[in-house]
Amino acid sequence: MIAKTKRVSDYKQLNKELPTLRYVDPEYVYINLTTNRCEEYRLDVKKGDYVKLGQILGERDGCFFKQPIYATVSGHIEDKVTKIDGTGIEVECITIRNDFQDTYDETITDRPENVIEHLTQKEMVDIVKEKALVGLGGSGFPTYIKLATEEKIDTVVINAIECEPYLSSDYRLIKDQPDEIFNGLKYIMQAVNAKQGIIAVKKTKKELIEVLENEQKRFQDLNIKIAKLGDYYPQGWEIETFKNATGIKVPIGDLPMKHGLLGFNVSTTESIYEAIKHNLPVTKRFVTVNGDGVKFPQSIRTRVGTSVKDLIKLSDGFVEDAGNIEIVIGGPMMGSSVKNDDVIITPTTTSVLVFKSVDYKEEPCVRCGSCVYSCPVDITPVSIMNAVKRNDKEAIKDLSANKCIECGLCAYVCTSKIHVTDYVRKGKSLIG
Amino acid sequence: MKIVEKSAPHLRKPNASVVRMMRDVVIALMPLVIFAIYNHGLDAVVILAAAIGSMVGTEYIYYQIVDYVKRDRTKHEEIKDKIAGFNKQIETAKAAYQEDSNQELYDETVEKLKAEIRKAKDELRAYKQASTKEENKRFHLFNRNFTLYNYSILVSGIIFGLTVPDSTHFMIVIIGGVAATLLVKMIFGGMGQNIFNIAGFARAFIALGFGAAVGVSNHLPVQDDGSAGATVLGSLTSNPFTEPSTFSIWDMFSGIGFPGAIGEASALLILAGALYMFVRKSFDVFVPLVYVGTVFVLSTAVMVQQDIGWWYPMTHIFSGGLLFGAVFMATDPITIPVTRPGRVYFAFGLGVITFVIRLFGQYPEGVVFAILIMNMFVPAIDYAKWSKNKFSLKSSLIFSAVILLTIFAVWVGASNV
Repeated sequence: MIAKTKRVSDYKQLNKELPTLRYVDPEYVYINLTTNRCEEYRLDVKKGDYVKLGQILGERDGCFFKQPIYATVSGHIEDKVTKIDGTGIEVECITIRNDFQDTYDETITDRPENVIEHLTQKEMVDIVKEKALVGLGGSGFPTYIKLATEEKIDTVVINAIECEPYLSSDYRLIKDQPDEIFNGLKYIMQAVNAKQGIIAVKKTKKELIEVLENEQKRFQDLNIKIAKLGDYYPQGWEIETFKNATGIKVPIGDLPMKHGLLGFNVSTTESIYEAIKHNLPVTKRFVTVNGDGVKFPQSIRTRVGTSVKDLIKLSDGFVEDAGNIEIVIGGPMMGSSVKNDDVIITPTTTSVLVFKSVDYKEEPCVRCGSCVYSCPVDITPVSIMNAVKRNDKEAIKDLSANKCIECGLCAYVCTSKIHVTDYVRKGKSLIG
Repeated sequence: MKIVEKSAPHLRKPNASVVRMMRDVVIALMPLVIFAIYNHGLDAVVILAAAIGSMVGTEYIYYQIVDYVKRDRTKHEEIKDKIAGFNKQIETAKAAYQEDSNQELYDETVEKLKAEIRKAKDELRAYKQASTKEENKRFHLFNRNFTLYNYSILVSGIIFGLTVPDSTHFMIVIIGGVAATLLVKMIFGGMGQNIFNIAGFARAFIALGFGAAVGVSNHLPVQDDGSAGATVLGSLTSNPFTEPSTFSIWDMFSGIGFPGAIGEASALLILAGALYMFVRKSFDVFVPLVYVGTVFVLSTAVMVQQDIGWWYPMTHIFSGGLLFGAVFMATDPITIPVTRPGRVYFAFGLGVITFVIRLFGQYPEGVVFAILIMNMFVPAIDYAKWSKNKFSLKSSLIFSAVILLTIFAVWVGASNV
């Protein structure tokens, strides 16, 4: 206990080897019009209109960028409704009634390989921007901003770590579509003119390494390496992945581009491939439905805009004697819990976890130091907690609470079951 | 079934708990308790019972009083107020009767009010009866704040008992236990809030308050007359650089038939306990390592300076309470810094103070004093402006310089003893 904790219990064995269920045809899909970054929107279609898959429905308007809204099925537009998105906030959605035809919009056409070969960085950025790609690891950061970097990029790192327990959507993606991932990486390297590409994967995931190494043979001419990294949490944190995959230490707060590094999540890479090759926005993704509160945990390949209610129904519903349950969108360590199951799958939703809620008995802090030893950014969570309790802003600043990445390890390891992460989060917001 | 919202993380480490940590300390202490009873017989039983009983009892009584004072009395107060109101009305009626002498009206009013009072009293009785199980209960056998459930007060009690020399009267032990629990633990706000090590404070309290009465009598060498100065550390105090002839290093290591505090004798069992806690990760192994290491380095320096044998550092490590204090008292997480560098500085300070007290001082309780002195520096070590989670190059360099300076100071000091 009073030692560095690096592992978070992994229950993925539950469903890793189950076949992925394909649930790409829900009757209704709900496309969110607003996000936590964009609160304004413009809608170009009205109720009753027929829309095609990949058609632009309107435009989200953030403070510094605009994002087209795409239909992910073909069908008829119905009412506007309010649902919850993966971050737990209420968003306005437009309902599309699926006609199960998957009629593609006219703009969705494949680009031939010889055209792609001559695409410049600017053209690729325009495609990615137009297809509204965002970081699919959960951040939702617009991809085109990263891709449009003017720094000299030496290495592109594809993050296939997926270090949080319970999740297996990236795992399924790599197993099913390694070719798309390698091609996506190829396009990124072409866009930023990088010499080297690295796919970072956990060394314990033997099956994935096998799949990737097999695929590597087709891309001999490119300098692509597979980095096998240690299986610990938070290995998937960008800076940790960079450090272990390339040996370059990016200081917290610095942009990795300045150090010649560019990182993409593996799902994002796949979506870049789809955008450039097939001119498609993100319409489908892998979602893990897992946890001890759901009867049949499984991976589902589903349409963006599907209701989480449908997915839970597909997994045989909640277990009966659950008592209170938590629904978590994202990983168990960093994901956000939502207030009801009226949630939609957005491109950034990696998983739906249903847990039986446990109320831990909180004891007084005995200063055992587990949180201090386990902190990946080397701050002292317990001191920050005490500073927050006495509202000592100067001390919070001195303890560099702003470095915290909210990985949740401090609360995870706490011997007194205190929610230390909440205190540190509060400290961060206190010092702004 | 209800969907509840909580903030991340949604998992907790399954086997991390304070109860487990404290229980491990109790388990690690058990061989020492048994060995103490084997070595000292009834004396050890009485001392341990007094130490544990006084600490556990004090905490129990304290929390019972706190609960009694804080219990919910609103309903009681309400009914009592009502009765007082009726009594006041009777007074008013009496005053009115004295003025107008209307016997009939007076009797009627008083009768009515007395009936009201009876009703209120019945209500109070009914309320008391109805709520004997719940909030009105004056006595809870199991107090929710009482820390016996997580073994924390039990650990303090056992550790205190084991540090007491065998011929100490049990009343002294009880006074120490009560004083330490009240002054160090309860007044600061209970578990997790104390600044000083509870057991250490208790031990220092009886050492300073009762001096000669806290003594060793069993297993003393025959040629001595039974004074406290006859233990190994005692003889080192009078002749600092002469090897104590009566006990071999093996005697000190095994602890069999060795004079001293009842539980500190056997280095072997202390190390076994330390190994158990290390395997279970229930204590920070760096603290005892650095602490004992510091004493070893400093005593080796003195050994070289005085040109004497290896018995000198060995005697320092295996005699007195050093190992016991390093393993069980200096690792009490509540009273030590939270960061690894902080714990290293803390343990280094312990080693230096212990050695300095042993080399230049008169008290045999060097370890306990060192722990209490360093406890006072914990807030300073943990101060937000300079407390760091990891060693930096600069801090390592400064720390190395401090170590060298300390060795130099001890060297110079030893040549002038």
